[in-house]
Amino acid sequence: MSARGVVLAGVGGQGVVLASAVLAEAALRSDFEVKQSEVHGMAQRGGAVVSHIRYGETVASPVVPLASADVLAAFEWAEALRWMPYLAPRGALVVDARRIVPPGACKDHRTWGVPYPAMDTATVAHRVADVLLIDASGIAASLGNPKTANSVVMGAVSRFLDIDDVAWEKAITRFVPPGTEELNIAAFHAGQEAGSVRPEAIPDLGLDPIQQRSYRIEVDHSWCKDCGICPTVCPEFCLAMDHAHRLVVVDEAACIGCRLCEALCPDFAIRISVGDPAVVSGGAP
Amino acid sequence: MTTTAQVREHLRGWAMPHVLCPGCAHGIVGRAFLSAVDDVGIDPDQMAVVAGIGCSSRLVGYLDFCTLHATHGRAPSFAAGIKLARPELTVAVFSGDGDGLAIGGNHLIHAARRNIDLTVVLFNNEIYGMTGGQAAPTTSVGAIASTAPRGSVESPFDACKLMIGAGATFVARAAASEPYTLARIFADALDHEGLSFVEVLSDCPTYFGRYNKLGSGPEMLAAITRSDNRIAIPLAGKRSIPTIDPPDLPPGVELGTLHREHRPVFTGRAGGAT
Ligand code: SF4
Ligand code: SF4
Ligand code: SF4
Repeated sequence: MSARGVVLAGVGGQGVVLASAVLAEAALRSDFEVKQSEVHGMAQRGGAVVSHIRYGETVASPVVPLASADVLAAFEWAEALRWMPYLAPRGALVVDARRIVPPGACKDHRTWGVPYPAMDTATVAHRVADVLLIDASGIAASLGNPKTANSVVMGAVSRFLDIDDVAWEKAITRFVPPGTEELNIAAFHAGQEAGSVRPEAIPDLGLDPIQQRSYRIEVDHSWCKDCGICPTVCPEFCLAMDHAHRLVVVDEAACIGCRLCEALCPDFAIRISVGDPAVVSGGAP
Repeated sequence: MTTTAQVREHLRGWAMPHVLCPGCAHGIVGRAFLSAVDDVGIDPDQMAVVAGIGCSSRLVGYLDFCTLHATHGRAPSFAAGIKLARPELTVAVFSGDGDGLAIGGNHLIHAARRNIDLTVVLFNNEIYGMTGGQAAPTTSVGAIASTAPRGSVESPFDACKLMIGAGATFVARAAASEPYTLARIFADALDHEGLSFVEVLSDCPTYFGRYNKLGSGPEMLAAITRSDNRIAIPLAGKRSIPTIDPPDLPPGVELGTLHREHRPVFTGRAGGAT
């Protein structure tokens, strides 16, 4: 058997590293050779965490090559998309239907929202054999401890791997915090049973539509004295002075509605109004 | 800050555009004031603005409130009369540095001494604009004016210190280049009971800017920001920033609310309703 590859991806605090230790241990107990490597630079601060596990008769490299993971298990949707290139063309994708916006994500200054990719399995379905979008966090919470979501995910992952339940249970018992073994094993089995969900069925997904606002810039040329102040303060270079030193609106589409031009126009001559919004991301899948 | 569309409700549109020069920051100050009137929620019919003579005073003619264009320097006294007769009105004074500190200096300090419940806005551009660029009581030492062709040799007033000394109970200084802060300070001043004095660092591209080679509206607005101590002092120490040449920096000034106290207001003491 050639080595099998699994990529686990999530953000700091979700238990990605623990889940990968469980998988590595379970594979070892099934008499495979196992290699594992992980990257968790900003793990404590909600940064991306990814772990590669390869197991089989013999394993050379600990790193899963691009487009060759049998299973990609993601603990939230954006991380699933981020690591998609590692999934083999006919691989299985397991995703906890959660949305975690990285704290480092800049707010988009045109929408005042954080653009987050729409949670739509159709966008990836053509590339994978199986997509399992499960409500792992919801299942874990209903079992009594939302922190066991990683065990729920691993339960779902186990459906695609040749490792028996006994090995999994022993591995879980070895690594989870003392006192939570039963709960995690229950969560694992719940994950084995979990069916795909439709994202809109999960409350608290925060799939609020993000709207791209548009703005209209109106200059009353009979009031404007072409003083040149507004082009120097506009952060988006929407305004400019032409060769005859006349004010021209050069890029209305770039306007973010900051109204700095309004506040600093000495002649009450420039007006910004909000145009019709358009949904650019998020929203019901 | 309210939008231009909202602020325009307080303008006499038929009189616009106003007479001030292109890039003169006085318009920015007027806009911030209108925004503050809205923020405080003053009924436009209960708002009275009195002006003396000068470019800044001309702004009052465009405001759709109860307005009075008074004699040179005497705006605080006309305003005091309005406040005594109609204490329910919110009364403000727009004055320039020449109008308020030279011709009307006497009226200004006595309004402060009496703590009349007025909001006095002093537009300081260091020069007489309307009358042709003469040196004002605020012109910096060395600055060129038509009456100081080789640079002013007189020490300027610190208008805020003057007004604190005279007994004003709210004294603040703000910059036209920071309209949001300016509007907030105006709102505080309008809310304050007693004489509120706000000195606004404005500009005069037409005279002061031209005589002193400070550029036009956009450049002068940027220069106002650089005269702020909060910016100028930290930057002066940083010789690594190539565009800042410390010896050329204008002397910095303190911005913000500089003084606040509570004292009985004149209208109350004089037996009028307050
Ligand atoms: S509101 Fe004015 S300053 Fe702001 S981006 Fe639009 S045009 Fe530029
Ligand atoms: S700031 Fe006002 S007056 Fe000056 S160019 Fe812009 S719109 Fe015209
Ligand atoms: S003369 Fe100076 S202060 Fe008067 S409107 Fe022109 S620029 Fe403004």
